[in-house]
Amino acid sequence: MAAGVIPAQKTTEEPSLRRSVTPWGSFSWGYSDVGADIFVGLGLVLGAAAGASNIAFLFAGIVYVCIGLAYTELAAAYPVAGGGQYFVFRGLGDIFGFIAGWAVLLDFTIDIVLFAWSCIDYLSKLVPVLSFTAHPWVHFTVVFTVIAGLALLNIIGVRESSAFNELVSGLDVVSETTILFFGFLFAFQPQLLLHTMHYSWPTPFNLMNGVSLAIISFVGLESISQAAQETQRPASVIPRTSISLILTILIFALSYSNLALGMQPWHAIPPDAHGHAQPLWRFLGNEDNNGAAVAVLASYVPYFGVLAALYVPVLGAVLLLISSNSGVFGSSRIAYAMSGTQLLPSLFQRVHPKFRTPVVSIATFCGFAIVELIFAALPSLSPPVKLVYARLFRGEDGITFLGDLYAFGAAASYSFVFVALIALRLFDSQSPRRFKMPFNVPFTFRGNRVEFPIVAVIGFFGIVSILAFTMITHEIGRIAGPTWIVFGLIGYLVYRKRKGLPVFRSQPHDWRRAQINILQEAGELEMMDDYLVNVKKMDERRAAGLTP
Amino acid sequence: MKRMVRSEGYARARLANALVFAALGAVVGYRTLAAAGPSWLALPGCVLGLAMIALGYVRWRDYLAARRAR
Repeated sequence: MAAGVIPAQKTTEEPSLRRSVTPWGSFSWGYSDVGADIFVGLGLVLGAAAGASNIAFLFAGIVYVCIGLAYTELAAAYPVAGGGQYFVFRGLGDIFGFIAGWAVLLDFTIDIVLFAWSCIDYLSKLVPVLSFTAHPWVHFTVVFTVIAGLALLNIIGVRESSAFNELVSGLDVVSETTILFFGFLFAFQPQLLLHTMHYSWPTPFNLMNGVSLAIISFVGLESISQAAQETQRPASVIPRTSISLILTILIFALSYSNLALGMQPWHAIPPDAHGHAQPLWRFLGNEDNNGAAVAVLASYVPYFGVLAALYVPVLGAVLLLISSNSGVFGSSRIAYAMSGTQLLPSLFQRVHPKFRTPVVSIATFCGFAIVELIFAALPSLSPPVKLVYARLFRGEDGITFLGDLYAFGAAASYSFVFVALIALRLFDSQSPRRFKMPFNVPFTFRGNRVEFPIVAVIGFFGIVSILAFTMITHEIGRIAGPTWIVFGLIGYLVYRKRKGLPVFRSQPHDWRRAQINILQEAGELEMMDDYLVNVKKMDERRAAGLTP
Repeated sequence: MKRMVRSEGYARARLANALVFAALGAVVGYRTLAAAGPSWLALPGCVLGLAMIALGYVRWRDYLAARRAR
């Protein structure tokens, strides 16, 4: 993984990040994060939503497009690392900033386990001894070792180079395009797709379950704002690359789901455990294959499948490993940033004396990831625990357990981002926006002309409905997700009280100075000038008593 | 990598990719619509086709912008 070594982040002097990411770098950064999700999501959704899997991906995909547009607007207007947590912190204040950040941290810890787990699932297609169903202890041990190894590499300060990210992303885009090309041209049968949709339509409960799992194929948009901090001229580059990224990810998710439901396999599908013939989608969604569904599907594509069967498991595993590593890196970075704004204790800013990396943050959140791994793997490791899970949690398997929590964390944090976007449109109309979500209603708010974003409202209701589906259909997610938020919130309130900081209110922040610094560091000097002019006009209106 | 990304060959490869996506989108959308007729079952296939055509358009526009910048 560590094809190149870049120096550890210097955290004691709060240096600014070097802006060296190009448009392609920005795209590949996002792609290596979000693009890996379909490798995990496809099998889970097929297992849950059956003949409506493409509908589940379509619903989640529409919500994802709204989220992507929201992140693009916010990342271009506020090009700083921190993503959803920063936008909510700035738009809604300290306590909501904490809740959103804490939900993102849950997602990052799940990200670490889920992608390490799935990485080994993909490799098991070439190395059968790693199979989760056949050798659960081996699988557990290897996933555990991968997480521990990633934690160690991050503490030492070794990361994969951005050139390596770009190479893997490029290879994957070419590979997936080729798979889809061969699949749609030589094996896709629309009649079969319609037949599957008609006769294998799931129950409403399973459809809701499928939709809630489909959103995990679109998680990782934090990388857009992460890239914004390190991109040259982010206000113009981020919108361009984001639109391309959003469309690419949407196309891959919709393509794979349509192909799985409507593709005539190149060679025979093995019968199920009872010796009955089974369709491709059911084969991909079963417990043996749902962790590596893209590799299995690729192997059934005409002509190209022979080659794809050999390399897609490896390419998928590498992409998933990068994504797992981004969970380790991202969680430590967000915890470090939250600690800097006194949303988390200063302990999380403690750096290793030699390697100068946030060692406490890395160790803590990798520790949480290990706990989640144990919860996910326990039913397969111990038959009595399996009985308990079957009684209490409908017998959800390990990867579905992780998917539950991933969906909860994503839906919770994205909900806040939509509200933050609306709040920032209303209360920070002075910040220039080089990119705006489409369909806005202009009106006057407190004496200022603002634009109300209709798409953000649609996206908000979409993501809240996915959050509701998660709570309704996921036995574990319903308990563990809110428990994570409640415990975090209690810790936050105790910490703020002990520090003598406002508990429910926000500390005073000089956002004007912050915004000027952000735009100056981004090299967006025209935007900075626009901002200063807007601020001056607003002050003049305020002095004249036209604005409250 | 940076040199490769800025090269004319890379820009042409992206244009070819755009055309492949646009053509594939048209084929997928048309075939699904032809099979399903005016039914909501055609919706996922049609949206996929439109998204592919849109990506093709975005990349074609990027290609033109890159050529103008040279």
